[in-house]
Amino acid sequence: MGNIKQDTMPVIRDLRDFDRCSGNRLERWVFNQRPLFMLLMTLATLVLGYMAATRLELRPSFEKMIPQSQPYIQNFLENRKSLRGLGNSVRVVVENTQGDIFDPGYLEVLKQVNDQLFLVEGVDRAWMKSLWSPAVRWTEVTEEGFQGGPVMPDTYQGSPKDIEQLRQNINRAGIVGNLVASDFKSTMLIVPLLDKASATGLGINYHQFSRVLEEQLRDKIEFAGDSAARQAGEEGTGKYKVRVIGFAKLMGDLIDGLIQVMMFFGLAVATSLVIIYLYTRCVRSTLLVVGCSLIAVIWQLGIVAWLGYALDPYSILVPFLIFAIGVSHAAQKMNGIMQDIARGTHKLIAARYTFRRLFIAGVTALLADAVGFAVLMLIDIPVIQDLAITASIGVAVLIFTSLLLMPVALSYIGVGAKAAERALKIDTRAAEHRGFGKLWDLLDRFTTGKWATGAVLVATLMGIGGFVVSLQLKIGDLDSGAPELRADSRYNRDNAYITSHYALSSDLFAVMIKTPAEGCLNYQTLILADRLAWELQQYPGVQATSSLVNAVRQITAGSFEGNPKLNSIQRNQDVLNYAAQQASVNSPELFNNDCSVMPVIAYLKDHKAETLDAVVAIADKFARDNSTADRQFLLAAGTAGIEAATNIVVREANRTMLLYVYAAVTLFCLITFRSWRATLVALLPLVLTSILCEALMVAMGIGVKVATLPVIALGVGIGVDYALYLLSVQLHHQRQGLSLADAYRKAVAFTGRVVGLVGITLAAGVVCWVWSPIKFQADMGILLTFMFLWNMLGALILIPALSYFLLPRTSLTRRGAFDEPVVQAPPVPVSAADRRHALTTTE
Amino acid sequence: MGSLKKLVLALLCSMLALLQGFAQAADFVDVLDLPAKPSALAVRSPLLGIARVGERLVAVGQRGHILYSDDAGKHWLQANVPLSSDLNAVFFPSARQGWAVGNDGVVLHSSDAGVTWHKQLDGRQIGALLVKHYGDLARAEPANEQWPLLVAEGQRLVEQGADKPLLDVWFANDRLGYVVGVFNLILRTEDGGQSWTPFQDRTDNPQGFHLNAIASTGDALYIAGEQGLLLKWDTTLERFSAVQTPYHGSYFGVVGKPGEVLAYGLRGHVLRSTDGGSRWSPLQTGLQVNITAAVVDGHGRYRLFSQAGHRLVSQEGGASLKLLAQHNPAPAVGAALAADGSLVVVGSRGVHTLSIE
Repeated sequence: MGNIKQDTMPVIRDLRDFDRCSGNRLERWVFNQRPLFMLLMTLATLVLGYMAATRLELRPSFEKMIPQSQPYIQNFLENRKSLRGLGNSVRVVVENTQGDIFDPGYLEVLKQVNDQLFLVEGVDRAWMKSLWSPAVRWTEVTEEGFQGGPVMPDTYQGSPKDIEQLRQNINRAGIVGNLVASDFKSTMLIVPLLDKASATGLGINYHQFSRVLEEQLRDKIEFAGDSAARQAGEEGTGKYKVRVIGFAKLMGDLIDGLIQVMMFFGLAVATSLVIIYLYTRCVRSTLLVVGCSLIAVIWQLGIVAWLGYALDPYSILVPFLIFAIGVSHAAQKMNGIMQDIARGTHKLIAARYTFRRLFIAGVTALLADAVGFAVLMLIDIPVIQDLAITASIGVAVLIFTSLLLMPVALSYIGVGAKAAERALKIDTRAAEHRGFGKLWDLLDRFTTGKWATGAVLVATLMGIGGFVVSLQLKIGDLDSGAPELRADSRYNRDNAYITSHYALSSDLFAVMIKTPAEGCLNYQTLILADRLAWELQQYPGVQATSSLVNAVRQITAGSFEGNPKLNSIQRNQDVLNYAAQQASVNSPELFNNDCSVMPVIAYLKDHKAETLDAVVAIADKFARDNSTADRQFLLAAGTAGIEAATNIVVREANRTMLLYVYAAVTLFCLITFRSWRATLVALLPLVLTSILCEALMVAMGIGVKVATLPVIALGVGIGVDYALYLLSVQLHHQRQGLSLADAYRKAVAFTGRVVGLVGITLAAGVVCWVWSPIKFQADMGILLTFMFLWNMLGALILIPALSYFLLPRTSLTRRGAFDEPVVQAPPVPVSAADRRHALTTTE
Repeated sequence: MGSLKKLVLALLCSMLALLQGFAQAADFVDVLDLPAKPSALAVRSPLLGIARVGERLVAVGQRGHILYSDDAGKHWLQANVPLSSDLNAVFFPSARQGWAVGNDGVVLHSSDAGVTWHKQLDGRQIGALLVKHYGDLARAEPANEQWPLLVAEGQRLVEQGADKPLLDVWFANDRLGYVVGVFNLILRTEDGGQSWTPFQDRTDNPQGFHLNAIASTGDALYIAGEQGLLLKWDTTLERFSAVQTPYHGSYFGVVGKPGEVLAYGLRGHVLRSTDGGSRWSPLQTGLQVNITAAVVDGHGRYRLFSQAGHRLVSQEGGASLKLLAQHNPAPAVGAALAADGSLVVVGSRGVHTLSIE
């Protein structure tokens, strides 16, 4: 490494022989006032570290994870307060694993749970429902009119007679399937939550709430106090099981997941330490590289906290990426310095030399990374935009830490003598076709006709195969349950249990019917709601529908002595008013206070994209055919409704983002290489990776979703780094008149190790996400690891092979004007025209 | 030139307005004017009445669904129905002619054994019928105080629109028949439904209770109603006269054979009379839920069904009822004996066939 520049950067052993005023202004400013620079950096680190430590919080926000300006989402957000049934509630199921619910012991436990939950901060007590709630009643038509009472007998003492009474009440209350499981082995407590806790006036702390559920209910009842087993994610072995689902619980579990992911950061740091040590065999520099990258992370977190951002399941991944990119850049710096020191240059001068060689190259590479992040701003989902902003901040920070702080710090501490010698020796051995040289020789063969043809052929076949597979790529989440968590997580196991033992699924798609006040009681509105529900039911993916209409029909029949023939929507307004009044008592979630918003809810069998698309199509057609100024049918609320809207945005964004990221990278390559042929050579391996990544998604059952969008952008944005390193050197040599084989040989000898290092450090940074309890993080980990590694391989193998076809010597010699024989001595001017010089002469 | 521009502009504007008009959603189409839509779900959706015509079964239900089956309920086809009101009952007096009634005062007629249907009457006309009929009578008999009251009743119906459900239908033959509904609503036809005559003045129902069902035992015609109301056709008086029963809850129907009648209703109540309705004795069912459907099976036994899906069968020649074990209880609103001897029950979950026991 650095061979090109040896003639312009002579070995200087003594500082006194060095011209302090050489180098560009930035270099002089930084290196000539090293103590001041270090002081400023330390101060900044302390201030930002303090910020990060005191202000940073974990705040996964539901609203930030949905596409805010999508029309369906806007409809939902506008009417959100009116949708009580789709509001924030938790469902707790207490199961008797050794019997049924008609067991005094079970009922006693259920009472405990009921009483505990009643006291939890944030619970909307008035609307809590369970077997023990006096509000859960049975009614019956008798000769004298309606008769009714609480399902749990007032005089319940636990005697067999009481139990028999309860059994009868449950049957006539018609609560089997909603409060009581259809197999009578469990019952449900529906726990609505307040927007703001009454005592504190603050929003509910989901993590706190979730912990109360875990520690006060689950530990005691399911695990008999054995919280270790609970934390291990096992099922309790006791007689009773407590199952909890609901948004608050999901958020609580997500925060737990975030904390766990933060632990993985330690793992990423440890892995990097090992990789860098193996690369350098120098403890000092290993610690320095990792230390500088950690400082970058501290800065990034500090700035992010200062700006008021919180960590969510997406932005928590930024430190990993910043750390990995920082490590790879810092390692390159160190590599250069090490070789200079090994040749005998003084450590300060070596640091300055490296700065000269690599600063602009580093900025260029970081710029390419920033392109990857920047296109994410185009996606109208706040978490992704936050990710783009926080990551851009991180990339900017890296300019200070990896590109400035790192060489300055190295100028103080230097590197171990043995390690420096070793660095030189590796290159010498490689030049003698030993050690890495053998690998380079292998790669060199791809510049020959036979191997190049073979490689391109294989790549083409893989591309075609991958493309065929990728045609089956689905949009959206493909597993059942909460997509944020793994299918086998406790939450999703509970969800599966509840879905299979209670009547209705948890995938709700709601159409909101908006009218003037009292409009939802209008005969025509009810008829249209009924027609909409019926249209939705025609699609097999809809299990059932529910709306005020169901209640009105039932109550009307009830007021005609339960005559099933009057299970109908009557035109008589008095009949409708009576029904709605009754419904508002029993199920207030069916319409809002002034009866101007009423949801029609479809319970879907799953939330696969085709199910959602079909339901959206039906509902949208109905809305267009029937909406008037006074009666609007608005899509969409409910978990599935929001997911449908997200899918629409994601499908669109996936296409535009690929387009933009490739457009940006193409432009970038064109500016850097000044050759469309070279640009093709750099881009085609990326295209192959993108195709194979989609095929991998199909194979692994990962759909295109919010989480995979950044992966695609980053895979291309960061992936192009390899081509920048490798191809720029190769082009430089080709333009000097070397044959492709010679030029590539020089390029790979020069940058091969760095390309490998970058690939491995980046992959190491993201691979540990695979163990995240948050499913989409795991998916992102798998895909990014694949893209980082595959892009590396693609660059090393396909660049020479494609160059054989696209960059024969003649294509470049024509453009002799761009041939730069030797890069001029410093100062290196920081101008656009000269950016290429810096690039082509680095690494 | 300027005026031409203005003209073009005005033209464009009016065209735009026209386009917007087209883009606007269609006006609300009333259930009475909206043909029933074919649906694969119809057979599993609420069905409220069923009748046998020849080998065929015809079932009616919500949203104007009419289904027919020629293989004893195994496969069903959906008939053409010009409206989508909820339909409550269906009856075939002969091999081809049939009538169905439902909400919104709807009367449908089929003359091809239930394949196609056309509307004979709906609630928008019933009020006017009452006003005309009883208005004529009031003019003919100014002294009779009954007529102005019934005219007023008719006017109320005119004002309220088609909001009175018809609950049952019965025809003696292809010409003579009755439809009954809520609040003592009853109409009679003598020309196969071409014209309908209000019949409210011919019922002993001073409180205007709902008329839930009308059925014949072969030797007598009964109407079952609200709050213990049971009426029997009196051929000499030419009116439906009250029958005294010991129960004051509502009846949902009657079933019987010549010389025997069972009235069934609220909260498991079944009463039996073998002397044409003079004396009644309760039959124990052990049930607390509404008995909502009944049919005579191939062996001449009564089969009764509850709203919760309980099944009862008569024994000792009808003197007592036995509750049958239920495997897959399906709520029942109507029942019919299929040509192969099996029982086909309809209810809120659609059609269920019970094998011959």
